[in-house]
Parts: sequence; structure tokens; C-alpha cells
Amino acid sequence: MAAVLSTVEALSLETAAARADTHNRSGRKGFFTDTTLCIGCKACEVACKQWNQLPDDGFLFTGMSYDNTVALGASTWRHVAFIERPIALSTQDAGAFSWLFSSDVCKHCARAGCLESCPTGAIIRTEFDSVYVQPDICNGCGYCVVNCPFGVIDRREDDGRAWKCTLCYDRLKDQMEPACAKACPTDSIKFGDLEELREIARTRVERLHENGLEEAYLYGADAAKQPGTEGLNAFFLLVDKPEAYNLPPDPVVPTKTVKETWASLAFAAVGLAAAAIGSVFVASRG
Amino acid sequence: MAISTDGRDIDTNLAELSGEGAAQKIERPDRHLQKIAPAPWERVPQVTPAETTYYERPLLKQSVWSADIPLYYFVGGAAGAALTLGAAMQLAARGRRRRELRALSAHCHWIGIIGSTAGAAFLIHDLGRPSRFLNMMRVFRPTSPMNMGAWILAGAAPTAIATGLLVNRRGLPGKLGEATGYASGVFGAALAGYTGVLVSNSVIPVWQPSRRWMPVLFIASAASSAASILDLFYENRTARRVTGVFGTASRLMEIAASRRVEHLASTVPQVGAPFRSGAPGVLWKAAGVLTATSVALSLLKRHRLAGVLGAAGSLALRFAVHSLGNASARDPRASFAQQRA
Repeated sequence: MAAVLSTVEALSLETAAARADTHNRSGRKGFFTDTTLCIGCKACEVACKQWNQLPDDGFLFTGMSYDNTVALGASTWRHVAFIERPIALSTQDAGAFSWLFSSDVCKHCARAGCLESCPTGAIIRTEFDSVYVQPDICNGCGYCVVNCPFGVIDRREDDGRAWKCTLCYDRLKDQMEPACAKACPTDSIKFGDLEELREIARTRVERLHENGLEEAYLYGADAAKQPGTEGLNAFFLLVDKPEAYNLPPDPVVPTKTVKETWASLAFAAVGLAAAAIGSVFVASRG
Repeated sequence: MAISTDGRDIDTNLAELSGEGAAQKIERPDRHLQKIAPAPWERVPQVTPAETTYYERPLLKQSVWSADIPLYYFVGGAAGAALTLGAAMQLAARGRRRRELRALSAHCHWIGIIGSTAGAAFLIHDLGRPSRFLNMMRVFRPTSPMNMGAWILAGAAPTAIATGLLVNRRGLPGKLGEATGYASGVFGAALAGYTGVLVSNSVIPVWQPSRRWMPVLFIASAASSAASILDLFYENRTARRVTGVFGTASRLMEIAASRRVEHLASTVPQVGAPFRSGAPGVLWKAAGVLTATSVALSLLKRHRLAGVLGAAGSLALRFAVHSLGNASARDPRASFAQQRA
């Protein structure tokens, strides 16, 4: 009995801890990626691969502008998107053409679908408020892969575990900024305290609007802007629809609706029991 | 020279492999490349402002699950529904048909034992790191249907096995077997349906709108497959009478719930697109036809054939759910349209 009780206690502690993972946090760190400053040099991609000692993904020629990286994945934690548009930016003098660059990364959502759906507790919220996959715990069930509304986390077949950006957890612990932000030559990738970054971002948008770039806006900067994820710790300044950058316009973390689905399972299970008992009694009558 | 040839190009004489991603194992880089490589292009890829996507590349990642998972939906579901049916028979086993119902109940428990252990094997086999299966028991997390499922399976399989070994014995073991039989019935109902919660609480556009109906569909399909197995293997009169009612009801419910799921997904046309085209759509329609034919055959008392078609219908439905989801994840417009709607 004591064993059962202590197990129950341990489980409730775990549940509370899982909830606290998401709700109690201090020292929130994140990225502000200002895509208007990005020059598409891919130094962030290289710095990430080098620091984290990630393998290459093979060498492709995709024809998609200068993007031969294609997408974020298990061994690609920064990805620069190249968007060639037959439209001019509003500040442009000539030519119906503009070229947009954006360095994409794990968003470290305030409510993270991967974390909340992880059945092993391998995915945790760190002291820096980042979302981190513990490679020594992950058993490669693959459920996080279908719970990320941004298509970030992936399982590499030959490794068997899920991987994604760690916000350079090892560097943060030594008071260094993440490798991508360090390497960014234009400071398009800014790393810092989330509150400060938000302030910088707001000022930047105002400034751009003053200069005539009216299409500039913040993507996922806080819970008000993106209620489905309750805000992103890595947010963006964009100048086109999110879809142009392969970002979802209104992402919702699926765990937000899990209660109603459990309720419907309960109804269905009662229905199954009723059908079973009913049909057995009908059969035993005659 | 000891430069690593695993895609890192690190001279291990000079550098130490200790980065965050250093432990990532690389065995088949070519297969990984196939996964990310876009299809060869016929015209220069362009972003067109009219219907914006990023070079038609998927927004989401499709599931990494193999055929193990739809097979698990099927055997785990059948086992769960059989356990619930077995418990119902324990409850009803009185009077004239006591003996027959007790025997049939024991058969149901054996279907449960075989199904839940086979299901566990499929699940473990599909893991990227099968040896770490028990890590599922590190936490108890209701936001993760995958985690709850591990607990449900850990309740259903042992209670089913205990029932199979103990029930119909004399004295305390017999009573214990009776109790575990009822417990396995409760776990069984959860086992039959939690996979519906697991599928529909994901970011896959085609399954999200039917969050409330997917558990119903999965439970109905599980009940239908349990009835089909009884139809196939047990020929006595009581079994026929039970499956006549239980099987028909669950197959009709399976058809009704699948119509509902399809209708809800098709509210946004782009989201429902996989139902109307390609192999997954054909599989989904085939599942409906097989199940409907099985209802008709069951009413004509062709029980064995009804069992074959009923089981095939459920199996096709589970594979259809899996492949429709993957098709939907590959289509960036589905997510965009759903979120803009």
C-alpha cells in the first residue's frame, strides 16, 4: 500500500512539475529575428552545424532561389529561407521584384506542443525558458513530430531520436550567446532577455513604419499576437504574409484542446460498455 | 589523419566530439537525403503571390511512424473491445446460458491477451530506441495521449493475462480472476479508443476538425473488429447471437462516425482534399464498402464471410487514417487554409 501511495505521490509531483515546466519561469531568453536585416549569408546555419557538431544533410541543388537547405530538421537547426517575389517593397524605388531572407529556427513556444505531448518527459523547459530535448531520455516515439505546428522537430531514422534547436543550452550555461546569434554579421538574429527583445522589436517596427515600410509586423511576439502558442520565445519581424516564409498564419498547439477529446473518449467508452452489456443480455435472453 | 566521414568532417585528433548534436548517429545519410530532397523541378521554382506557399514545400513534418502503428491501432483496438465484451459476459453469465457465456468470455479474454501483447510488440518495434520503452512510465501526463496510452496498455495487458490464468479457478484465485476480468474490461474500453485521441490531437490538418468524433470512430472500429474475430473463430450459437447485435451495431456506428469525420474535415475544402484523391482516399472508401458489405452478410447469417470483410474493413480504416494524415501533412495549403478559415 505504501508503495502504491508513494507511486501516486511521485506521479502527481511529476504532473505538477510538467505543468510548472510551462507556467513558472524566470530569466526568459529568446531570439528576435529581424528579417529586414538578413542578407542570406547562412553564417547562422554554418555556425550552428559547427558548434553543435551536426552532420551535413547531403548536398542538394533545389532550384529554390539560394535555398539548398530546404527545411529545418533533425540535423538542421537553422534554415535560411529565400523568397523571390515579383512585387516591390513599399520603400523600393524601381522594379517589381524583391528578395526576402529569413533565418528560421525552433520557436521555443511558451506553450510547446512537443513538450506537452512528449510521453517520456524527455522534452523539458530549461531555466532559460527554452525547450530542450534530452537525448539520453528520448525513446524516439515520434509523437512530438506530429505535435509541432511549425514542422520543426524531427526524428532522424538512423539515430532513432528526436532532435531540434537547443537554444545552445551548453553555451547559455557558460554565459555565451547561441552560436547563430554570435555569427550573424548584421545582427538580424538578436539574442537576449525576452522582455528587452520585445521592446527592441516594437521600436524597430515603429521605425520601419516611419521610414515607409508599412508592411513590417511582428510574428508571434506575445500571447496576444499568437494565442494558439501563447507567444514564441523566438519571434520574427516579417514583411510578407507568414505563408511566404512557410510559417503558419495562426498556429494552435494541439494540447490546448486535449480535454474535450478525452471527454469525447469517455462518452464513447461508456457507449461501448452499454453496447457490450446490451448485446450480451439480448443474446442470453432467447 | 582521422577525419570523420559521417558528414561532420571533424578531425578527431584535433577536436573532441562533445557538442549538443555530436551524439547524433549517422548510418544512412543517403536515406536521410531522400527524405528531405524535393522532387525534381520541371520549371524554375517560384513563389507566386496569388496562392502563397514556400515553393510547395510542406509546412509540417509527416509522421515518422511505420506500418506498425496502424497495425497497433487495429490489434490494440480489437483487444480492448474484446476485453470489454468479455467483462460484459462475466456480468451476464447467469441462468440457462451461464456455461456458454463463461466459455465465450474466456475466449474474449484470450483475444485481449493476444491483441494487447502483440500491440505492445508493434509499439515497441516502432520506437526509434526500443530499449527505452519503459521511459514511457517516467511521467504521468494527461496532455500526452501517447503517455496515457502507455499507462492504459500497462493496465489492460496484465489484467487480461491475470484473468486468462485465474478465472474459473476455485477459491481466492478465481475471485481475483473475476475482479481482474472486470478491471480489464474498463482498461479495454480506454485501450479501444485512446488512439483516436492520439491521432486527432495532433497538428495534422485533416484530423483536427474531428477531435470529438475520432475517439467514437476508433471505438466503433475496435468493436467491429472484435466482433469480426468472434465471427471468424467461434461458431457456437451464443457467439453468433452476441455478434449479431454487437457486431452490427458497431459496424453501423463505424460507418456513421466515418461519414461524420469526413464531413467535418471537408468543411474547409483544401483540408478534406486527401479524401477525394489518391491512394489514401481509395483506402478510406474501400473501408466503408467492406464494412457495409459485412453488415449485409451478417444480416444474411453469412457470419464467417461477414467476419472476414468486417476485419478487413477495420484494418483498411486504420491504414486509411494513417495515410490520409500523412498526405494532409505534406500539403502546406491545408494548414494555411484551415488557419485562415
